[in-house]
Amino acid sequence: MSLEKRKMNFSRKELIKADATMNQMRNAIYILIRLMEKNDISDSKDNLRRMGQNIAKTYINYWKPTNIVTINNVKDVISTIYQKVLNSGVSLEINEFEREIRVQDYKCALCKYHYSDIEIAGCEILLGFISEFISLINRESYEHSIITLKPYKVYESKAYGNKSCIQIFKYKIRSEG
Amino acid sequence: MGAFQWLMKKITKVFGRSTNALFYTLLYREILKEVNQITNNEDESLIVLREIGKRSAYESCERHSSIFKFMPGNPKKVLEYFEILWVVVFGRELDDYTYEEIPKKESQYSDYALTIKNCPICAGYGHDEEDSFDFTKLKDERSEGLACGLCGMLESVANFILRIKRNDYRIQIIEQECIARGGDNLKFICKIHDYKDWAKLMDSRNKERKLTGLYFEESLEEEEIVQETKLDILDKLQDVISIDKLEEYLDEPLEGIKKRVSDIIRDKMNMEPEHFFDYFRNYEDDMIRIIGYLGTHLLNEYGGLLEKAFKNEWIAKVFGYIFKQLKEMTLLFIPLDVVRDYNALLVNFLDQIAPLEMVENVKLFTGKDTINYIFEGAQMALENLGIDFSELKENVWEELKQERENGLISSETSAIDRTREHVPQIINILQELLMIINDILTLPIRILISESHYGLKTAINSVVSEEEGLYGSIRERFDNIFDQIQEIRK
Repeated sequence: MSLEKRKMNFSRKELIKADATMNQMRNAIYILIRLMEKNDISDSKDNLRRMGQNIAKTYINYWKPTNIVTINNVKDVISTIYQKVLNSGVSLEINEFEREIRVQDYKCALCKYHYSDIEIAGCEILLGFISEFISLINRESYEHSIITLKPYKVYESKAYGNKSCIQIFKYKIRSEG
Repeated sequence: MGAFQWLMKKITKVFGRSTNALFYTLLYREILKEVNQITNNEDESLIVLREIGKRSAYESCERHSSIFKFMPGNPKKVLEYFEILWVVVFGRELDDYTYEEIPKKESQYSDYALTIKNCPICAGYGHDEEDSFDFTKLKDERSEGLACGLCGMLESVANFILRIKRNDYRIQIIEQECIARGGDNLKFICKIHDYKDWAKLMDSRNKERKLTGLYFEESLEEEEIVQETKLDILDKLQDVISIDKLEEYLDEPLEGIKKRVSDIIRDKMNMEPEHFFDYFRNYEDDMIRIIGYLGTHLLNEYGGLLEKAFKNEWIAKVFGYIFKQLKEMTLLFIPLDVVRDYNALLVNFLDQIAPLEMVENVKLFTGKDTINYIFEGAQMALENLGIDFSELKENVWEELKQERENGLISSETSAIDRTREHVPQIINILQELLMIINDILTLPIRILISESHYGLKTAINSVVSEEEGLYGSIRERFDNIFDQIQEIRK
């Protein structure tokens, strides 16, 4: 495709300034999960997380909230990503003993309805997305205080019939090994 | 753009759950890549993605079927309202497109070609490493492009509308040109099929799908007959209440509207208008309350939005305070002459279609009575829908103070901050609503004057252009209100 043609269409940077309604896409995620199950994909949870990681890898080329994420600003950074990307205000808790970050979202963009036939929540994608986003922000930093996140589990989800979605991440601080 | 098209688009956008458009596009891309992991065949992946789009839109349509009762019921009109389909499916404006009719011999309807200059789905595709679905591997020349999932969604919504309106035609939407595949634009071909042709097409699609032996267990049972459910007013009147017809009504003078209402009563109720209104003789005040009551319930028919919103105690309270404020302000600020004009308009409307005695009784009402009855009816409907007026305080500020003292609103700083952040928007909404009332107050006299000449639409446009006149002013204020609601929802 010639570059001239591409210039005529929207750019990805322009898309950042716009919003899109998620109703159908949210349903599409659960149809995809059913499709995976029907076709014997055993690691569908990992696949959803991988989808989120891939989204983060592209997304960061067009926007990032900060240049470094440490234990001191991680709550603000995650909160900003949820607000700017997913239009959702979340509450966060850090459990230093368990090394966990717990995100509670009452307006999860990927889960809204209870599906009795599905055991995987759409917000597994967000576990992959957020943890990868944080890692990518910190990838070029040599600071000892930087934090890395790993997807742990979706503890509650509207897709399971809960009132909110709770996503849990495990974290590590570089200086602590 | 028609008033109702604009309203539908605004409401869909404001009340839908949205994310950033880049996230949406990348999620769409990832779904296609996951499908391709399963099929290992690019042509088949696009067929499956279209099917996913179709099923996902069908699921949404089933959940919010009331919305589509307002849409026009014939295929040509459905396509004329393509902008709304686009907003319903994609949640953003359709910016720059052309629309071409392709006449078809031996068919009641032509085909249509829609060329859309900017495709958000294809935006920047190929620039990033993760854009790994390879279009050069496509072998089947009939294969569509990246927007095939979107195409499936649009087709599903269009056909859901036709089915719910009990129309025998169906629309096939095919992506003919894709920017990600090297095309200049996104181009859809929309073919209109009668029921027999459509059944054949569905049959061949199902056979193709079965041949691949993968993917979905059963086909979407989208052709089942729409069951008659509860008798709701919109079901009965859906032939006359659709956005295209409502726009026609706006073009007609009051006499035309009276004739239409009379025809509806004759057609749907099987009785003469005079007999119909005779039921309300000596209960004229209740009839006016019913206008407020039904008006509010009709608003709720749009996907049960009011009822759903009022399940949230906070929204129910805010709406209750706004309503109380409106009720007080209306009686406080509207000049009685203007209210009398509204009363005269009602009398004028009932004249010759209602019994003489009833018209005389309505003439006895003061303007203030009429406004109060309408508000009483609306309040009853709002109570039905979930607002507990008995629990409301004198004003919203007392409510905020009280809840903080009781600890009902979270004591976390962030929650209070969020509430405080919303106060300016709520004030702006109240202010804009008051300004709208002022704007509307000038309407009745214009309607009466222009009744036999220009009709309601001329009055709304105020003999100036759409943008500069009263219509433009009201629309601008509603634009501001929708923007404020969007801000609050974020």
